[in-house]
Amino acid sequence: MRARRAALHTLVGPYVLDAVTGPERSDFERHVLTCEQCRDDVRGLREAAAQLAAATALSPRPALREQTARAAERIRQLPPVVAGELPARRRGWRGFAARLWPASRGTPATRPWVARLAAVALAALAVTAIVLGVHLSVMQSRISALEQRDSAIAAILGSHDATTLTAQVRTGGMATLVMSHRARALVFMATGLRRLPASKAYELWLMSPAGTKAAGMLPPGQHGMSGPVVVRRLAPGDKLGLTIEPSPGTGQPTSAPVVMVALGP
Amino acid sequence: MLGEVAKGDDAAFRAVYDQAAPAVLGTVSRILRDPAQSEEVMQEVLLEVWRSSARFDSSVGSAKAWIMTLAHRRAVDRVRSEERAAARELRATSASIEYDEVSDAALASLEQERVRRCLGGLTDLQRQAVTLAYYGGYSYREVAQLLGVAVGTVKTRMRDGLIRLRDCLGVD
Repeated sequence: MRARRAALHTLVGPYVLDAVTGPERSDFERHVLTCEQCRDDVRGLREAAAQLAAATALSPRPALREQTARAAERIRQLPPVVAGELPARRRGWRGFAARLWPASRGTPATRPWVARLAAVALAALAVTAIVLGVHLSVMQSRISALEQRDSAIAAILGSHDATTLTAQVRTGGMATLVMSHRARALVFMATGLRRLPASKAYELWLMSPAGTKAAGMLPPGQHGMSGPVVVRRLAPGDKLGLTIEPSPGTGQPTSAPVVMVALGP
Repeated sequence: MLGEVAKGDDAAFRAVYDQAAPAVLGTVSRILRDPAQSEEVMQEVLLEVWRSSARFDSSVGSAKAWIMTLAHRRAVDRVRSEERAAARELRATSASIEYDEVSDAALASLEQERVRRCLGGLTDLQRQAVTLAYYGGYSYREVAQLLGVAVGTVKTRMRDGLIRLRDCLGVD
């Protein structure tokens, strides 16, 4: 695990130069989610790389200016990401409906570059389709579902009070949480979790003296990573637990948590 | 300026176009080579800027870095997905000449001169690793192959080269 992290860290140069290929790029982007130093490095080095671009200016044909401006008129602009505001989705999952976050409505989100690039990559798909004149209502809805998850992750990772916690998972693996008390939400990821048979699944829970609420299933990921899952509406004193449950999840935990993290004040 | 673009101001969009389009076109055409494809990608990048401008956040970097990151990645992704293996081989063999163009080309503006000077401050291996990746669109493994050095060496030279560039250019 540590060796793997170190290996990922050396990719910061190739990453900024877009000299990593698909799987490594996503591995590195996941690594950056939990590596503040990497985020700072990427930010600074990216500015340097942008200067390299400035050294290669070419004048576009004059006609392209109007053509581009006219194409822009036909493209609906994305709204800003508002911290704490999430469109309702996954409504009804064991009563864990996505709702608007309170308190922080109206403040601009600090949207870290990782998630922003993800969103931009999705935007690129849409723009390409528009350029090609493709009609794409189906594609739009898929994009918007992905964007909503990304913007939720971005809002949490970008908040000023984001803190990272890690914990060993009893049955093997490591859990990582990035939490914002201000946003009352966290992003949960895990690496190296024991593989489960199809009849079982990992489920997250918010546990408080008042009771236990289902907090979503942890989807198996690629390259030994699971998640990320966004857990919202944290209350003071909550603990986050992960249990192994019969697929596709239960309303109340039926086994002891394999990891339990106290979320602090 | 991007703030105005985000409100749907087309005059602001034209102003952003004027500032960014030449650098975007220059960068993508270095990677893609084909003028028609380069123009297309340049337009796509600017339209992405239009579409996503409300999502730009100046606290995580400059507008220039944001736009150029979009442009570079898009060009690289396109070249990797579309270029046939044979064409890549051909390009790879001529790469040792290509990176020299960067320092030898007549770089007129002050900014270009500054970049050229800072590139000159890198070790040969750092400069080659950085420019082959950035201007050539090669992956670090390909760069290692082209330069005949270990993959690990290329990774660290890219990072160290960028750090030196950053410090020389005074950007952060």
